[in-house]
This record gives sequence, structure tokens and C-alpha cells, in this order.
Amino acid sequence: MLQYLLKRLLIFLPTLLVISLLAFGLSKMAPGDPVEQRNRDMGSGFQRPLTDADRVYRETSAYLGLDKPVFYLSLSSAAYPDTLYRIFKRDERENLVKLIQKYGNWEAISNYYHAVRKADKGTDQLLGKTEAVRSVRPLVKQLYLAYQDERISSLLDKAVSQTAADSTLQAALGPQVAQLQLAYTQLKEQASPVRLYIPDIKWYGFDNQYHNWITDFLTLDFGESFIDSRPVADKMADALRWTLTMNLIAIFIAYLLSIPIGVFSAVWKDSTFDRITTLLLFVFYSLPSFWIATMLVVFFTTPEYGMDWFPSLGLGDLPPDAPFWRRFREAGAHLVLPVFCLTYGALAFISRQVRGGMLNVIRQDYIRTAWAKGLNAQPVIWKHAFRNALFPIITMFASIFPAVFAGSVVIEVIFNIPGMGKLTVDAIFQRDWPVVYTVLMLAAILTMTGILVADILYAMVDPRVSYGKDKN
Amino acid sequence: MLIGVRKEQELAEQLRRQQAPPQSYWSIVRQQFRKNRMAVWSLRVLYVLGFLALFADFIANEKPIYAELEGESHFPVLRSYAVGLGLDSWEARFFQNSWHEHDYDYAIWAPIPYSARTMDRKNRNYVAPGDDQDVPSKRFWHWLGTDQLGRDVAAGMIAGTRTAMLVGIVAMSIAALIGIFLGALAGYFGDERLRVSRIRLLLNGLGLVLAYFYGFQVRAFALNEGSFGWEVFKSLLIAVGLISLMNVLASWLKNRGIWAKPVIVPLDLGVMRLIEVVNSIPGLLLILSIVAIIEEQSVFYIMAIIGLIGWTGIARFIRAELLRVRNLEYIEAAQALGYNEWRIIARHAIPNALTPVLITIAFGVASAILMEAFLSFLGIGVAAEEVTWGSLLNLARTKFSAWWLAIFPGLAIFVTVTVFNLLGEGLTDALDPRRKQ
Repeated sequence: MLQYLLKRLLIFLPTLLVISLLAFGLSKMAPGDPVEQRNRDMGSGFQRPLTDADRVYRETSAYLGLDKPVFYLSLSSAAYPDTLYRIFKRDERENLVKLIQKYGNWEAISNYYHAVRKADKGTDQLLGKTEAVRSVRPLVKQLYLAYQDERISSLLDKAVSQTAADSTLQAALGPQVAQLQLAYTQLKEQASPVRLYIPDIKWYGFDNQYHNWITDFLTLDFGESFIDSRPVADKMADALRWTLTMNLIAIFIAYLLSIPIGVFSAVWKDSTFDRITTLLLFVFYSLPSFWIATMLVVFFTTPEYGMDWFPSLGLGDLPPDAPFWRRFREAGAHLVLPVFCLTYGALAFISRQVRGGMLNVIRQDYIRTAWAKGLNAQPVIWKHAFRNALFPIITMFASIFPAVFAGSVVIEVIFNIPGMGKLTVDAIFQRDWPVVYTVLMLAAILTMTGILVADILYAMVDPRVSYGKDKN
Repeated sequence: MLIGVRKEQELAEQLRRQQAPPQSYWSIVRQQFRKNRMAVWSLRVLYVLGFLALFADFIANEKPIYAELEGESHFPVLRSYAVGLGLDSWEARFFQNSWHEHDYDYAIWAPIPYSARTMDRKNRNYVAPGDDQDVPSKRFWHWLGTDQLGRDVAAGMIAGTRTAMLVGIVAMSIAALIGIFLGALAGYFGDERLRVSRIRLLLNGLGLVLAYFYGFQVRAFALNEGSFGWEVFKSLLIAVGLISLMNVLASWLKNRGIWAKPVIVPLDLGVMRLIEVVNSIPGLLLILSIVAIIEEQSVFYIMAIIGLIGWTGIARFIRAELLRVRNLEYIEAAQALGYNEWRIIARHAIPNALTPVLITIAFGVASAILMEAFLSFLGIGVAAEEVTWGSLLNLARTKFSAWWLAIFPGLAIFVTVTVFNLLGEGLTDALDPRRKQ
């Protein structure tokens, strides 16, 4: 048994590795620049001088750890330099990648890029001195993000003519702009797309984004949210409180009701009770919870239809120092509808499973024997039949761990409850990757643990199941 | 006398049964299925839904099906197909005035004379089905009300039927293809049956890397800039070409020296781990994270993603079936005849394992439709102007007094999901050997 456990735990590792790579890869493919976003969110209060923008960007990027190479190694073509990650702005970097994909000559591209930076700096220095620079400056800025030939050419032409129009500008900026144009012509002339076809594996060492994240994760340091710098663990703890409360109540009620329903409808198969419950449960099972939730919100939380019985969405706005009982009642009133929505689906599912499991067992000979030898209904049903019908219930038990942890996205979003589901969905759409990584990884770990626990429970319930021998 | 007749009939019946050829597997299944009244009814409802989806353009359309205008005959609905294909174009008067405003001599309108996107300006701001509606006649009544922009809810529901059916079919087709392929490989070869020469393994590994490099890495610029579908197709072609090339090379080299030594590839282990990976991540969160990286919103991406994630159930089913089937005598016979492994899998093993997969597919369609409805309910992944059941239901959250927006679209989702669930149940019962009399 112990050997089996160890083997199973060992097999977790590659799966987790793949999941971590998947989550990480998705975040790198997602559009949007977390650094920009964070600067926008944090810096909205006060205006920074424009010249500082680069420095601020670099600092934020270093703070978030996004200035490191992405992964241990990369498979790319020989045309790419191995220092590309040092171009720290994501959109500039991506633009350079496009230029490389087009021209394949990094030396010339890098020359051109430096010429752009020089011209940019030149316009920065002139900013207070002459008004005319205001027309050239945006052109140079746009060059950072231009890769189509016509676009760059037209921007360059405009920059040259604008510079020539003003004498101070021409004196100060003329050479830089001319050099810029020269660099671009050279870039086009020296294009060597052939180099793109030579594969090249580059090694970046251990100080990379993935390594830092995964080692932190393994030491249970989940990092900080990109959005508000709160530790992810704290954010999750807050959210988990609500998710756990809701789900545990719902699952408790669901099991409490569904086991007797399932057992009795199986024992008295084809009775009126069985027919009615089977039909009802099937309807419940097929009712989309987001429809029911929407209907409940529309009809029971608004005064429109005269049935304003429940408080509106969210969890109320009592201050945290309000007396416990008032907060309890407030939260309770807000949780009735969501818990109902969670319960009816689980109830339908579990009862159907229990009924199915019981039906399989009740046909067996030993149950008939038990009846035949005159046992009472109680021991036959609960001791002989139910114990052997536990398998499906155990299987479902396995899925409870991740469900309780990850919460119900549907219900939490509709009822606006700040639980795990809503936290994750918001994080995905705000590109708050540390939160997303952590939830995905923990959910995966819990799912696998759940399955393992279920397998062990099988062995405990049914002595015929044994994992000692190398059969599995 | 009467008794004698009945007896005779019974005897004749018995005789006929004995003489009749043995029933095929499918006819038994069909017989069992017909006994389940609910399943039969749900199949009928499914036919209706399929009909609505297929002929949605003739059921809800702002264009008349047939119209006489200034002495000329027009078939605007039919013609819109030609226009859609670029074979034809509308005369100026047709897009200057809306379709309802022409002075037709005679017109046959679709049963619901509105398209999903038609904005009826006179009936804006949530007109209820029973309210006073500003329509020329009862024929143009909004039977299920309108939304804020004056779009007819009934027309939206018809358009939604088409989307839902499409999502179910496309997503499950993708899932079935992947699931049957991987499940069959895992089940048939297991952990020990696939023996490959070292050189083939090595070259295939190399081929995968090169296929990724030349197919996708080098062509990244073209993939970003060109028309996406076509470029992806070219990339896939390059990738498949490279891998086939490597395999040809491997067949040529496979008898030389140490490279010829066979290696056992534990396919089953690999596929099972892959299934575990996909199953370990909560499906909805995985879909949401993938949707988040796609900038363009289209329902086709949703279908593809649901398909790419939903194959695990099918794969497990097929795997379990093939693990059983592969030890049966007829497979051994086929092997003894020297048939190619792939031929045995495709022609002999899979066809016998396909039936139970139908059950998984029926339930899968239900959950795919539910998933799409929920995503468009959240306004994720579906273009803003597209009308689906989910997006209609979402409107109910913006206007609580519009009960018709809360009830009808949800009812449509419910009915469709129920139909597929009932079908799945019916199939489970019909295919269950224990229920056979």
C-alpha cells in the first residue's frame, strides 16, 4: 500500500510540471503588458514627467521579475540574438521580433533600434527649447512600434521634412534623423532572411522567470498580485472563506437529502415516489444553474414583481466591526439564493448516482438471500446494500476537493460573491497572472489528491480492491 | 373457435421469428431505444431543433421570402445566399430602405418577419409580448417581446438555435476525432505493444522539433500578418510533410546496426497522463484562460477550444473498449493474417468500440452547448453583435422588468440540454447488455 502511494505521488510530478508549463505558457501568449497596466493603475494619481517613463517602466518590470529571460532555453533561429530579453519593453521587443522575422539581420536591426533611441533622446532634450520638436517627437515614438516598410518609410520621410523645416531643429536633430534614415536603408539592404531558417537553441541559465516562479511556488510563496501588490495567499484566503462557507453548506445539504432519496427510490423502484423523484431530479440535473440563478435574481431580489424577498447582489455592506450576529444574519440572507443554486445541481447529480449504484447492488443474489432469510428492511438496505453501493459516492467525493476550492464561477459571478471563482475570473481578465497560476496549480493538485483519496477509500470500503500487488 | 384462431396466429408468429434472419446489433439497439418513450420524444424534439437551425433563414428573416415589387418578382432570402457568396449584389434601393418599408404589391414573409439583428425603431426599450406594440399588423407582432435596441427576441432565439447546434456538432466532432485517435492508440497498443526501432523514435522526436520550428517559428510573421486560417493550413502542411519525411528516412535506415534495436513506447502511459493533465484543471477556468489570449472574438474559436478540451471522456471510453477488444480472437486473426497495425485499428478494432462513445458524445453535446451559452452569457469570446441564447439571457440582468428575456432564452437552453441528456440516457439503456430481454 505504501509503495503504491509513493508510486502515485511520484506520478503527480510530471503532470504538475506539464500543468505549470501550460499555465506559464498561456500567460506569456496573452496580449497586454502587465508592466504597462500596473503603471497605469498605480500612477493614475499623479503625473510623472515623461522623461522618467523609461526608468519607471524598468523599475516596475524589475520589481515584477519580468526583466529576466522567460525560460531556461529557447528554440529559435540563428537570426535572433540571445540578449533580446534585455529590451525591456514588451511592445518594443515584439516589434523588434517582427523586424527580425522579416529581415533576419540582427546587427543592422540593432543599429537601427539604437538610432531610433538616439533620435528619441535628442527630441527629449529639445523638449523645452523649441516648439517645433512637438511635431517630430510623436513620429519618432511611433517608429518604436512600426514594422511595415511603407509605414516606417513614411514616418522617416515626415520626420526628415519636419526637421528640415525648422532651423534650430535641423541643427540639433538633423544628423540623428539622417543617421536614422541611413540605418533603415542599411537594414533593408543587408537583409538576410536565410538565417531565419537555421535552428538554434539558446540557453539562458537558471535565473529566469519560470524558474523563479516555480521555485517560489514549491516553497509555498505564491507571490504578489500584479494589480494591487497584495500577497496572493492573502487574497485567496479572503476568497476561500466565502467559497468554503457556501460550498460546504451546499454539499452538506445535498448529501443529507440525496442519500435517502437515492436509496429509497432504488429500493422501491417504479413506485410513485421513485417516478416523481426520478423525473424531478432529471429536470434539476438539466436545469442550467446560470439560468436559475438569473431567474432568482430577476424575480426574487427586485421589487419589479412584488417578490422582493431577498437582498440584492453581493454580500451587503456592513462594516467589519459590526456585531457578529448582525453580520452573520446579513451574510446569511445574501447566501440563501447562491447556496440554493449550488445545492439543487449537486443534489440531482448525487441522488442519481446513489440510485444507480443501489440499483446495481439490489439485483445481486446476496440481497435476495438477505430478504429471504427474513431480515428486516433496515439492515438489508443500509448494511448489506448501501455499503456496497458506496462506490459512486466515493468517486464523487474525489471531485469535491477541487470544487470546494475553485468555487463555482457561475454562481459567484452572477451573485457577485467575492469567492474563489470570481477571484480567478477577474484575475484572468485583468491578466493578474500570479493569482491565475496559483489557482490553476492548486486546483490541479487538489483534483489529483482527490482521485488518490478516492482510490484509497475504495480499498477501505471494498476488501476486494487491493493495491498491494503491481496490478494497477 | 376464437381461441383456435389466436393460437394459430401465435404459432405463425413464432414460426416467422424462427425463420427470420438473426437480428443485427443495431436493430436490437434500435428496438431497445424505441421502448424508452422519453428518449424517442427527445429525438423528435431534436429533429425540430435541427430543422429550426437548418432553415433559420426562412423562419426568422426581415427579408420577405417572396416579394412582388413594381411588377418584378424577387426572392430576397434565397438571393441573400448568393450575395453572401459574392455572386450577386443588392440594388441600391434595397439597402437604402429597410426591408419592411417597401411598397410591395405582394409579399410572403417568414413566420417571424425579423432577423436577429433587425432593430425595430418603433418598438425599442424592452417591449413586452403583451404590451401595446407599434406594428402595422398582427403579422409583425413581437411575440416574445423585444430588447433595448428593438431586436425581436423570437428571431434572436432562432439565430441562437443555429449557434447552439453548430457549437454542439463542431465542438464534439473535434473532441471525437482527438478522443478516438488518442484513445484507440492508448487502448490498442497499451504500454507494451508498440515497438519502434530506435532510429524511428529518434527521427520522430527530431521531426517534431523541426516541424514546430519550420512550420510555426519561422513562419510566425506570415501567421501574424496573413489570413490566419490559410497560413495555419500551410504551416500544418509543412509540419506534416517534415514528419512524414522523417518517417520515410526511418524506414530506409531502420535495418542498420544499433539503430535497428526496438524500443517499447509506453503509449498508454503517455495518453493517460495527458488526460490527467486536461482533467486536473477546472474546465471552465482553462477555457477562460485560453479565450483570454485570443484577441479576435468569434464563436468558432469557442467551438475549437471546447473541442480541444472535451475529448478526454471519449478517449477513456475508447481506450477501455480497445483494451478489451484487442485480446479478442478476431483481432488476433487479423494480426495472424499479417495486416498492418493501423488497418486493424481503423477497420477492425475501432468500429466495434464506437457505439458506447455515442453516449459520451450525446452528453458532451449537452455540456458544450451549456458551456457556450454560459460564455456568451458572460459576454466572453462571442462577438458583441452576435445574438445567442446566452447573450439574450444576459440582457435580463441589465433590465430586471424584462421577464421575457429571463424566461425564453433560458427555456431554450434547458430544453436543448435536456434533450441531449435524455438521448444519452436512452442510449445508455439501449446499449446496456443487462437490459436485453
